[in-house]
Parts: sequence; C-alpha cells; structure tokens
Amino acid sequence: MEAWLAFARGPAFVFAFSFMVLGLVRHLLLTLLEISRVMRRAGDKEFAWRRIVRATARWLLPAGQLRRHPAYSMTSILFHVAIVVVPLFLAGHIALWDRGLGVSWPAIPNGLADVLTVVAVAAAAALVVQRAAARATRALSGFQEYALPPVVALPFLSGFLVMHPQWNPVSHESMLLVHVLSADLLMVLMPLTKLTHAVLVPGVQLVAELGWHWPPDAGSKLARTLGKEGVPI
Amino acid sequence: MNGKSKYSYYVEERALELKDRPRKFLEAFAAVLEHSNYGLPLEVYARITARCSRCAADCQLYQETCADGDIPCRRSELLLRIYRRYFTRAGVLQARLAGGFTLDDDYLDEMAEAYYRCTACRRCKMTCPMGIDHGLITHLARWLLAEIDVIPKALLVAVREQLEGVGNTSAIPVPALKDTCEFLEEEFRDIYNAEIKFPIDVQGAEYVFFPAVSDFLLEADTLMGNAAVMHVTRGSWTIGTGNYDGINYGLFYSDRMMERIVHNVAAEVRRLGGSKVLVGECGHATRSAWFLPTFCGRDAPPVVNCMQYALAQLEAGKIPLKEQKILERVTYHDPCNIARVGRLVEEPREILRVICKDYVEMTPNRTENYCCGGGGGTVSIDEIRAFRTGPLGRRKARQIRETGARYVVAPCANCKKQLRELCQDNGLEEVEVVGLHDLLLKVIDLEKGA
Repeated sequence: MEAWLAFARGPAFVFAFSFMVLGLVRHLLLTLLEISRVMRRAGDKEFAWRRIVRATARWLLPAGQLRRHPAYSMTSILFHVAIVVVPLFLAGHIALWDRGLGVSWPAIPNGLADVLTVVAVAAAAALVVQRAAARATRALSGFQEYALPPVVALPFLSGFLVMHPQWNPVSHESMLLVHVLSADLLMVLMPLTKLTHAVLVPGVQLVAELGWHWPPDAGSKLARTLGKEGVPI
Repeated sequence: MNGKSKYSYYVEERALELKDRPRKFLEAFAAVLEHSNYGLPLEVYARITARCSRCAADCQLYQETCADGDIPCRRSELLLRIYRRYFTRAGVLQARLAGGFTLDDDYLDEMAEAYYRCTACRRCKMTCPMGIDHGLITHLARWLLAEIDVIPKALLVAVREQLEGVGNTSAIPVPALKDTCEFLEEEFRDIYNAEIKFPIDVQGAEYVFFPAVSDFLLEADTLMGNAAVMHVTRGSWTIGTGNYDGINYGLFYSDRMMERIVHNVAAEVRRLGGSKVLVGECGHATRSAWFLPTFCGRDAPPVVNCMQYALAQLEAGKIPLKEQKILERVTYHDPCNIARVGRLVEEPREILRVICKDYVEMTPNRTENYCCGGGGGTVSIDEIRAFRTGPLGRRKARQIRETGARYVVAPCANCKKQLRELCQDNGLEEVEVVGLHDLLLKVIDLEKGA
C-alpha cells in the first residue's frame, strides 16, 4: 500500500499534472495560432470587438442563463465553482505545494471546503440525474456524458472521506490512494475529453464571430481545387 | 422522378444520379478546410460540445415536434462526427484501430433532410453554454451538401437565373423592370397626385438600390414607400439595370455562389459610379451585403439598409408626416438575419413608434426573436409549406396572435411571404403582413415634401 501510494503521489502525479498542463497549453496555443491565421486570412478585417467582449462577459457570468434554465444553470454554476475552488485553495493541497516547491497562497477555511466538496458531489449526481431524466439530453448522451461527472466527482468524494475518518469505511491509506489516483486520472483526461472546455470556453464567442469572417476567395479556390471552375450551375 | 420521393424538397435529377457521393463529399470537405476559415470553429466545437440540450428548449421547431433529430446540437453533431472521424488525427487513428463510423449514402441523406429542417436562425446559439453557433454549422453543412448537388431545386434555379440567366432571381428582364417602375410612377400620380420618380441608371448617384427583386412583382407598396422616402428627402439614388437584385441565396447553400453574387453587387455600384449600396427591405439581402468587405476588401462600398436611411432622415426632420398616424395596432417581426446579432433592431422600432398610435412588441423580441419559420431559404421551397406553416412556424403564429395586432411589420421579403402563408394556414386571416415602408407611405405628407 505504501509503495502504491508513493507511486500515485510521486511519478504518477508528476506525469498526470504535466500531461494536463502541457496538453491544455497545447490546445490553447494551437487555437490561438488558428485564430491569428483566420484573422490574417479574413477578407473583412473589422471584427465586432465590442460585441465579442460583451458576449464573452455575459457567458462567463451566466446570470442571463439562470433566468432561462434555472435548475440546470444553478446546478452547473455550483458544480463549476466548487470543482475549481476546492482543489486550488484547500489548505491541505497548498501545504503539499509548499512542501514540494516552496510556493504557497491563501487557503479557504476547511469548513467552507467541506461544504463546497459536498456541493460538487451532489451537483455531479444531479447533473447525471438531469441528463437521464430529460428526453432531449438522453437522446444526445453517450458514454462520455454519463461517465465524466462520476469521474470528476470521485476525487472530491474520496477527498472528503480522507478528511473525515469517522465516515470512511476503509483504511485511511486506501482512501487516500483512491483520492490521488482518481485525481491523476482526471488530470490525464482533461486534454483528451470535452473537459478541454476548461481552457477553450472563454474564446468561444470570438471563435463563433471569426467563423463568419471568411477569406475573400475561398469559394473560387474551392472551385479550382474541385475542378468546377466554369462548370454551369 | 422529381426527387420528391427521396427528400422532402425537390432536387435536380443530377443529385439523384451522382455516384460515389461519400468520397466526393469528403473531397469537398477537405478543400473547404484548406481554403476557408471553418477549420477553427469545427476544431473547437468538435472538442467541447456539452450535449446538454439547452438548445432544444430554445428551438421553435423542437418545441413543436419534440423529435430527437430536431435538437440543434444533435443536428450539428452529424457534421462534427464526420469532421472528427476524417479530419482529426485521433479520429483517423481510432478508425484504423477500431473501425466504427464510416460515411455512407444513407448518412448523407439524413444530413440532407436535417440541415433543411433548420432555418439557421441562430437562436439556439444564445443559450448554448459552449457558445456553439449551430447556424454556422447548418450553413457549412449545406455548402458541403451543395458540392454533391444536394440543393433544393427552388434555390438552385433562382441562383442559376441570377448568375447565368436573366440576371436576377425572379427572372425579370430589364424592359419589364422599366415597365414596372413606370407603372409605379403612374400610381403615384393617380393616387397621390405626386410626381415621384424611380431613377434608372443614373450615373454618380450616391445610393444604388438593391431590393429583393421579388418586390417588383409582389411589394408595390414597399417600393413606393422607398421611392417616397428618397423623394421627400431629395436622396440621390438609382436602380441599375445591370443588377437590381439584392437577393443572395448563396447565403443559404453555398459560399461559392455567395461570393459571385456579392461581386456582382459591387460591380454594378462601380459601373454606375455610385458610392453606397442601399438595400431594400430584406433581411438576408442586408446580411449578404454586409459581406461586401469580406469579398471585396476595404474599398467595398458601404452598405445602408433603407430603414437606417429612413430613420436618419426622420430624425433630421426631412420626412414630413401627416397629422393622422396609423391607428390600427401594429407589431414588429425581427428578421433573424439583421436582428440576431443586434445589428439592426432599434431603427425600425423608432420609426414605428413615431408613425403608429398603437405599437406593441411581440415577446420575445429583438435578438431573442423567433424566426418566421421560413428562414434559411426554406420559404422559397413551396413543397414544404405544410412544414413551414406547421411545426416550424406555429410558435410565430402564436406570438402574432397574442399581440392582437392588425398589421405585422416584417421588413424582409422572405419573412413577408412566409408570414402571409403562416397567417393563412393558422387562422389569422384578419392580420395583414406589410413592410415598414408600406406604413411610411401611408403617413408621409407628399404635398409638403414635394
């Protein structure tokens, strides 16, 4: 058990964390490169920056969505706040960074972390239930859609039990191993699945706008490539 | 056989005879990715679709049919799946190792049906947590389908007439155009006792006028309203006999056609030595004209919609109005192509508030409006009228009924046609669908303005 734990916290963590960071940075860089290429090739160089910024701001502060779809939006917002805040600002996690790399930052109180962790797990469960309960979402959902919320929730659930031994049905080490391994798995999955939206979503309004900014001659070039130049309509 | 048996719309014979379609579709897709800018949205969307179905709740079609195939996200997935499988490394690798999805004729037929059930109104984009522009996907998918000849015959024939035939989508020859203009001038004399011209081929006019050409056949009052506004404001404008059609069905099925049609607009303005494009009451014609800088660069003539012109003149006090306003209740329908991004929403309202005594809004409106049900060119496809005025348009019909309005103002040739059919088919016979300039014509004081 000790050896497993050492592996999960040592090489596996280093690999997973680097894989996540490098993978997400790669997505981000490739997207930025593509954005700059699109802007260079666009015939119309007037980009509606104000509209893009406004739409982006509205997106990241989804108050309008709350009005439209209250139950789903509330679940989603709580879920996202919880899963971003807890791993980054848990005192126990910061202590590990301090011990390993000598960097630290302010933590949230453990009581708040507990609440948010419960919220994260409950919201993940609610997301799956909502998905399965509505006909439209059921029609859209595949394996990834049902599998990801539990995969995201697992490190939170196990982390909670690590912090609260009185409810932990197995040994401390076993639960800690589950916690670390599931977190490692989640980090590896980040750049490989739709979790990539973590880095891509802030740019989606820009991407949609740029989607309508075409090169001036895409059509005629296409005709040439496909040998349809001069072919009657 | 006319193709009716295969799709819900007519296609030309050659679409049914084409062999080896999956390969040709993928070749076109590859060429589009190489030459266009669609790679960026596809790459991002293919990674992040949340499949949450928020879009379904906001789609007027899904609200009526509750059919899985009408969920916008699911429709977009049809194209994204091909992209993932054939144009991403992971997809190609996965297919090589594990097999799985292969593009075939049945799948293409499913797409052909699905992407013409969507009007590309883009309402669902407003609500997608991932900001996915399903209208963009529909637009692109239709272009790709067009490259394997899957094009509704109604759209194809119109574009052929415009680019290779008479020169406009309604096949109105120049003599007939001149006759119509003379007839309208006579109407001005007979009804309004006013000497108002439709100037033709005036060199150096400031505005070159591009209405939906069908207005010359169907919307006399709108055109007379346009002419009246230009007359009282002493606007310098002209109709060019080289090109008098603002319609651009390229927007609905092919960027390749769109490029050619937009170039023809710029060419006519150049020929006449005009300086601006004045677009008539038409949503998609306006949006297509907004693409002038895309295809013609910085030197492209600026684009002004006739409602923008009218409001500016009204505010400058250059449009004399009669004492009597429009007394009947009036409501306004936002054409998606000008309203969805919020680019042209307040101008018509400001005019209507001035000239109408009882102006009411539909709910929702402006950027969140519902499509008339004939968007994306579907209005031209007569064989799907039952679908357009049924599941696709019913939401709009309810909206209109709730306002209790006598006049629905729709400043768009396509919306007008669709809304009239919608009212007929949904028991709203007492409602009259008009253009904004139809109402302006009623209240402009031509004697003072002369």
